[in-house]
Amino acid sequence: MTWINKARLKATLKAYLFLAPFLIVFIGLVVYPIGLGVRLSLYGQRGARMWYVGLENYQRILSDSMFWESFKIPLFLLLVQVPVMLILATGIALLYETRKNGGPLYRFIYYLPYTIPGIVSGLVWSYIFSDSMSPLLPALEFFGQTGVKLLTRSNVPGILLVVILWQFTGYTAFLVYSSLIAIPKEYSEAAQLDGAGFWQIAFKIKLPLLVGPLITLFIFNAIGAMQVFNEPWMLGNLVVLPLNYTPAMYIYNSAFSQGRFTYAAAMGIILAVLTCGFSWYILRSAGRQILGRRH
Amino acid sequence: MKLKKRSYVTITIVLVLLAAFFIFPFYWLTIGTTKNVSQLFQKSLLPGRPSHLQSNVSGVFSYQNGVFLSWMANSFLYATVGAFGGVFIASLAGYAFRRYDFIGKRFLFVLVIAFAMVPGFATTLPLFMMYRDLNLIDTRLAVILPSFVNIFGVYMMVSYWNQVEDEVFEAATIDGANDLTIFWKIGMPNVIPGFITLFLLAFVSMWNNFFLPLVVINSRARMPLILGITTITDPQGFPVYNLTLTASFFTILPLLIMFVSLQRYFKPQMYMR
Repeated sequence: MTWINKARLKATLKAYLFLAPFLIVFIGLVVYPIGLGVRLSLYGQRGARMWYVGLENYQRILSDSMFWESFKIPLFLLLVQVPVMLILATGIALLYETRKNGGPLYRFIYYLPYTIPGIVSGLVWSYIFSDSMSPLLPALEFFGQTGVKLLTRSNVPGILLVVILWQFTGYTAFLVYSSLIAIPKEYSEAAQLDGAGFWQIAFKIKLPLLVGPLITLFIFNAIGAMQVFNEPWMLGNLVVLPLNYTPAMYIYNSAFSQGRFTYAAAMGIILAVLTCGFSWYILRSAGRQILGRRH
Repeated sequence: MKLKKRSYVTITIVLVLLAAFFIFPFYWLTIGTTKNVSQLFQKSLLPGRPSHLQSNVSGVFSYQNGVFLSWMANSFLYATVGAFGGVFIASLAGYAFRRYDFIGKRFLFVLVIAFAMVPGFATTLPLFMMYRDLNLIDTRLAVILPSFVNIFGVYMMVSYWNQVEDEVFEAATIDGANDLTIFWKIGMPNVIPGFITLFLLAFVSMWNNFFLPLVVINSRARMPLILGITTITDPQGFPVYNLTLTASFFTILPLLIMFVSLQRYFKPQMYMR
């Protein structure tokens, strides 16, 4: 254990004065609500009446098929959208490198979708796929496909795929590109002298050095996939989606459409625990990176 | 990297096609603002003719006695106050981590970062219950308060403060400046670029935050743009596509202007959705 003396006590006092505003809002608006959520999750509820039930909510959630079905979409995004996006983004980042200064105009354009809110991109894309307004339908009719319905419930996962890829691929490519240009030029120059071509350098030299950043990106996107809400919420305005289309939608609808607050709180806790499991890896490296440097 | 002429051209074609895909919804939204409903139903890729831009814009601004202007003002209020408060509080906390070797430092840092990973859906619901007990439901404070907790900001501020050399602080201490003066007059100017970057990122994420206002705001006069535009209907409750599109355009316009003009401050980070 570290030494404690007068100087360190004084430093501690000063430090906590600077930390006080943050600690107050952090405890009041994050720690306390989470504690409240945990407590609520142990109660049964009917209207305004609440009573202690222990772990009954959790037991019921474990056998609630609606809750587990809501993970279909996050699982689909995790297994299809995230890998596709990471592959696309890595490919795009490699293409940036073939341009002068990394193709700043391309990087700018590809990044733009990330700057607008998920609600607006969900809204615009839902209109683009709608029966009444879709500019894609005249194109399909041109190829003899008349009377096609694009925005149907069975197509929603595919549409979500397009919307989310549209939003995040350019941003992800930008991050991968930042990691790429951090790789010392000597590596690929040396390989080139040895006669390696573009693809060989990409696969044998650059990709292995991108594994770390790609794992981090995968985890961030896995967390995002578990929490997806805005895009299906907006698509839900034009096509009927079930209350439990995603876990976040099920939690929201249980609480605010059905008034089952304590049950929703318990689902929120389960989702939080699952998410924290995913983020363990990032957490460890983040702590090491920042605090390791000084002191 | 040297490439053969043919592969250079192929790559250009791929890059241009991708650019078209990323631009397309922006283009479609923009021409959508020039169309009335029947023009939208014609599914054309050209701007509406005759243009209904003017009537759409005046339709948006006169909708429900100008509630759109309140939404806009609310969005600016929530984003500016929330982002500034959150980043300022984070810079105080970052300074504490940089300057002092205090008891519980490592523990506190890991604890704070750990809570950053808890999804908003797990905290928003209990937050709603807490607000209900405090009579804060449907108040502007209910939207602003949670943005004062900027955990990502704390994390980044610690690294910005770490880049300030020890000599800067030591010189000031020898001159007899107290800790608050050192923070404010000597330290802050060194982290201003980082402060601006974090402010912009926080501003954008507050501007785009849909879920919190959806849960805690009921009256339309207190909604931010992002929530308000999803509530535009005609008196019978049916959606009005042209007004919704035009309102969406005005919702993202400030973001696009900010992003284009302040691009050098938007350094992409591993930042969550």
